[in-house]
Amino acid sequence: MSAERLHRPPDLGAMSPLLSRRHFLSAGANGIGSVALAWLLSREQARAGIPAPAPASSRPPRFAPKAKRVVQIFCCGGVSHIETFDHKPELVRMDGRSLEGKGENLGFFGQPGKLMKSVYEFRQHGRSGSWVSSLLPNLARCADDLCFIHSMTAKSNNHTPATFQMNSGFTLNGFPCMGAWLSYGLGTENENLPAFVVLPDPRGLPAGGSINWTSGFLPANHQGVPFRTRSGDPIADLRTPASVTAEARAADLGMLAAMDRGFAEANAGDAGFAARLRSYELAARMQSSIPEATGLDGETETTKRLYGIDDPATKGFGRNCLMARRLLERGVRFVQVINGGAFGSPRINWDGHENLKENHDTQAATMDRPVAALIQDLKQRGLLEDTLFVWSTEFGRSPATQGIGSPGRDHHPSAFTCFLAGAGVKPGHHHGSSDEIGYFAAEDKVTVPDFHATILHLLGIDHEKLTFYHNGINRRLTDVHGEVVRGILS
Amino acid sequence: MKPLGNQIARWTRMASWLALTPLLHGAPAVQDASARWALQPVVRPALPLVQAPPGWTGNPVDAFVSARLHEAGLSPSPTADRGTLVRRVTFDLTGLPPSPEETDAFERDRRPDAYERLVDRLLASPRHGERWARHWLDVVRFTESQGFEYDRLRDNAWPYRDYVVRSFNADKPYDLFMREQIAGDVLEPVTADGIIATSLLVCGAWDQAGNSQANTTQRAITREEEMEDLVSVVGQTFLGLTINCARCHDHKFDPVPSTDYYRVKAVFDGVRHGERPVEGAEEAKVREAARSQARADLAEAQAAIARIEAEGAVAAAAKLPAGTRPPGPAALARWTFGADTTQVSDGKLEGGAVVAGGRLLLPAAGAFLRSSPLDRDLREKTLEAWVALADLDQRGGAAISVETADGSMFDAIVFGERRPRRWMAGSEGHVRTQDLDVPDEQAGPAAMVHLAAVYSADDRIALYRDGVPYGAPYKPSGGLRTFKAGDARVALGRRHQGGGSPWLTGAIGRAALYDRALSADEVAASFRAEGASITQDMILAGLDPARRRAREDAMSRAKTARAAIASSAKPVMTAYAGKREQPAPTKALKRGDVKSPGEIVAPSALSAVAALPADLGLAPDAPEAGRRIGFAAWLADPRNPLPARVMVNRVWQAHLGQGLVTTPSDLGASGARPSHPELLDRLASDFVAGGWSLKALHRIIVTSAAYRQSSASRPEAAAKDADDTLLWRFPPRRLEAEAVRDSMLAVSGDLNLQLGGPSFRPFTTSEYGAMFYHLFDKGDAENNRRTVYRMNIHSGKEPLLDAFDCPDPSVKTPRRGITTTPLQALGLMNSSFVQRQAGGLAERSRRLARGDLSRAVGVAYRLALGRAATPAEQALAVAAAQERGLANVCWVLLNSTEFVYVR
Repeated sequence: MSAERLHRPPDLGAMSPLLSRRHFLSAGANGIGSVALAWLLSREQARAGIPAPAPASSRPPRFAPKAKRVVQIFCCGGVSHIETFDHKPELVRMDGRSLEGKGENLGFFGQPGKLMKSVYEFRQHGRSGSWVSSLLPNLARCADDLCFIHSMTAKSNNHTPATFQMNSGFTLNGFPCMGAWLSYGLGTENENLPAFVVLPDPRGLPAGGSINWTSGFLPANHQGVPFRTRSGDPIADLRTPASVTAEARAADLGMLAAMDRGFAEANAGDAGFAARLRSYELAARMQSSIPEATGLDGETETTKRLYGIDDPATKGFGRNCLMARRLLERGVRFVQVINGGAFGSPRINWDGHENLKENHDTQAATMDRPVAALIQDLKQRGLLEDTLFVWSTEFGRSPATQGIGSPGRDHHPSAFTCFLAGAGVKPGHHHGSSDEIGYFAAEDKVTVPDFHATILHLLGIDHEKLTFYHNGINRRLTDVHGEVVRGILS
Repeated sequence: MKPLGNQIARWTRMASWLALTPLLHGAPAVQDASARWALQPVVRPALPLVQAPPGWTGNPVDAFVSARLHEAGLSPSPTADRGTLVRRVTFDLTGLPPSPEETDAFERDRRPDAYERLVDRLLASPRHGERWARHWLDVVRFTESQGFEYDRLRDNAWPYRDYVVRSFNADKPYDLFMREQIAGDVLEPVTADGIIATSLLVCGAWDQAGNSQANTTQRAITREEEMEDLVSVVGQTFLGLTINCARCHDHKFDPVPSTDYYRVKAVFDGVRHGERPVEGAEEAKVREAARSQARADLAEAQAAIARIEAEGAVAAAAKLPAGTRPPGPAALARWTFGADTTQVSDGKLEGGAVVAGGRLLLPAAGAFLRSSPLDRDLREKTLEAWVALADLDQRGGAAISVETADGSMFDAIVFGERRPRRWMAGSEGHVRTQDLDVPDEQAGPAAMVHLAAVYSADDRIALYRDGVPYGAPYKPSGGLRTFKAGDARVALGRRHQGGGSPWLTGAIGRAALYDRALSADEVAASFRAEGASITQDMILAGLDPARRRAREDAMSRAKTARAAIASSAKPVMTAYAGKREQPAPTKALKRGDVKSPGEIVAPSALSAVAALPADLGLAPDAPEAGRRIGFAAWLADPRNPLPARVMVNRVWQAHLGQGLVTTPSDLGASGARPSHPELLDRLASDFVAGGWSLKALHRIIVTSAAYRQSSASRPEAAAKDADDTLLWRFPPRRLEAEAVRDSMLAVSGDLNLQLGGPSFRPFTTSEYGAMFYHLFDKGDAENNRRTVYRMNIHSGKEPLLDAFDCPDPSVKTPRRGITTTPLQALGLMNSSFVQRQAGGLAERSRRLARGDLSRAVGVAYRLALGRAATPAEQALAVAAAQERGLANVCWVLLNSTEFVYVR
């Protein structure tokens, strides 16, 4: 079928096994009625709460991976490194002084005020003695599990391009996101669930909505599937319409399967026709596997409390974090949990232009406890051993205030902090540093492509080899850049 | 056209000359000479001398295809049956299934040219342009929303889509089609179509936030990214060359040095995103004349009113107690303040603002006065305020501001925002703001400073302080904007909502808003008058009846003139075709870095195309229009070998599933080599010689025996050529998303065939900093239009279309992916749209069968699949329909592989 040939780069297929990889759906056609049978079975399972079977159709990575899956917490708006994980005693001394000697102002609004010390107290935590501010007491308790990178830099000082870069490696629309690349490169561990799931903040979608989980020029089956987290079914068209009885649907699916099988047999040699049969079988299974994976009824009260589902402040985001764990357990390759939404008013993200403290107090109250719970829960279940945990934001915030006398901070792409945890990274470790006031990345600068190269490495992928031909270029998540940050590997 | 023989002879000479020419300056060495095949002149190949199979003579396509099959030891497949053929070619040329009547007619037509007649009918159908426009729109990354952070709607992007539909339907010569899209707005005679055509340059995503931010380096980077998008769409769409790869370094595979990237960039450097009016030169002249007459009329009427009112004011002043100053000009709205909060002329006090001692006191951030909405549109205007600043180091507050309700636009007199202690005319994203060369403000908190900002009809902005000019007047590049009646309001003390630090602290003594530009004298008079308390009533009382009548006459003339100005403000149509400006000379950037500008380059074409001079005879400061005119001429020159090859290949791909070159936007070294190079060149050569007719090209391809083959797979052939590269059969393929949706509507009988016009919008929107789209599914006529008319927005993609591989609008997609996924199946199984079409198909079938269920089943098969049900199918389906209903059977048909595939 032409579907199999699509996008294979000319003369390059032999160079990279990833390029000639098989279709998402293998071609094997099951017997008549298998679709209907799958659908009926899935209904039974849905009632009984049994997870659907998970046939493995994943592709082996290029070398032995430390991590099999990834969960990424992405905090929209730009979390201040100075108020969270990057302790700057020198900034205390210089509080109120003018910002000097750092060159062109990097802010989005271009009104630098005076230097301002962190609005939170810092204390050392755990055996690692990691400095974490009083803003994040729960994450502070996880400090010994976390691997911080204090020398992150982003290309843009503008939210959306910077967010695009963190997601896709490029500052522009239309490049495949990391989850799409992983779905393309590694396939799925559980065909009954999408390989790349996005859990948007129940308060609202990030700016640009679905642009943030696009598969770009990769085939559409690698696109992130956003689960609705506010209300309704997790995905559109999941439920059989109420007007159709279960018996009728089973009979209709049986009739469809017979018809499609006849068609596939009459047109032997075209794998695409068989793939369609299989897609209905998987769709029927998803009708139970998705509600099962996203339903929290089976979780204990203790677990729910751990994630803060008992507290109005953390309930929505806490549910998403718990859902993330359930999806990871069931073999979803990449789960992105978004904290924060678009840039309307009042603020529902970390974009503390006006009053940094007021803003970060509000945002941290939603994020700190559930994220700490997710780390702790993954750890206690042994999942952290082969799951890579990523916490990131698009950029940091300026050490100076935004405008004189203002308590806010502007965007700051030239130094910020992200952290990893779990599979393959050093726990309780600090990599790189920013300068004395947190203005520039000083030691061991890590760019976003470096960050991505490292994540791919941990998943067993050479970032220079995961490519896809598009309009003249063998595209990569890391463009033409990226060095694995060896210093953080365990 | 010139006599072809001469041209061919010349090209042949040129080709041999080329082989002796050393590689182009600065270009990377290409190891494999065949990699540059596409850059060689097109030489019309002779037909191969092969014994063609029966029925494979007379069409050059067949000669070349059968020669390659013969070489490979393969035989072609038999001709497909008529039912299959009519469905195939109807989908190909119109994107819709044939009706049962059309299928019948073709099956019964025994004339020898029945198929050719069918093809001609389909090519003449308006549906043809709609179908092929969608293929084109994929390539040129056509979108109807901005993308990036805000993703706002582009209400006026659709004219370009209609232009493409129109052009394909009219069989516009492809060379003209190309020239119009590059320079149609400046090619004489300028036509509306030509202007709309240039939307190609800007119909991709646009970073609005990045373009308005304060950091100049980052702004420059944003612009460079924008230009790469533009250069790459031109290079890939028309030339099949990835010129954009040379932005940071010489192209790694193709002979495109980095300088060439910047030379082509220079051609387009004056193109900016945005909307523009659409009208031909003649229409524009007439409209402009009417507009300037109306402006003159308005000025005359306003002068008359001012003169009469001034007389009234003098008369009123004469009645005042001795020693009172003469009054200033009359305002649209004036704010004066009494002794306490109950005494405010208009508006609401917010955030701790108080009125005391004849002043509006703004003690802290958050305090301001908000007026009621304006009662008329406001473009030219004057803002005025008497203000005392609590603190000279405060930043970014405004004395007076006029702002739209959603905060997206404002004009304000702002203090210390960009530079400390300076006033400026603030505006959204500083689009109408300039820093002025003025001394620092010195006035202490006790002093009242008088400020005025005058916005004139000719777009000039002038500031005054204490009655004298404050800095030099200027014209912002984007001109003034109109604030709408009922929407815009005035704020005293706040720059605009949502800004970083918009608050002014201090006091406002008085403020006024004028719906016209005050002259310098009037501003001075107003300052001297200190807003003397001569009210409108006092002025009117000072007029005798004759003057009052004269004033009313003048006011009526002003009203008429205003209406005429408004109606002649814009042409009837606006299109997102971009704006133009004269750019500064373009510098090649080292490694693409905006901080490392190198040599200045002249706008030119590509040196890689050796058959044509790349030098367009343009200086680095050549006028903007001439650059694109020159490039368009170079592009569409028949000697340019690339455009014809590229377009022939695109058309071939859409008919046969894959191109003769499988990388249609990259005919360079990293793209694929042609499977049938002579066939490609033969078609390209005939395409140009035949006047660049696309319909002729379609006709030759779809009437070939190769195209008419059966699609049945043959194991022995598949073993040799699994990909069917050599075309031993017609390759079956899945319908595109649009065709799936359109077909369902077509067979249910609900398809609305309204041609063109603004897109339908199956969503509601909400704005939260960014634009959000909330999809709905509605079966009314508007929403039952063809999918090509669905508003093509970034973040509001339709799940079903999305699952069927509808591309991301910002991705230049020369070839769509074809995936088969469970989400696709879920959409077909459960979406309300498919349920409704299944119900519609059942309803329609029953109606056509006059209620007879067995016949209705037969009708449903014919409608959905274009064939009769087999007896076994008929029996099964009738039983199913009796048991569960005909709609369920129709649901099965719409979900079937046979429905979503073309064989």
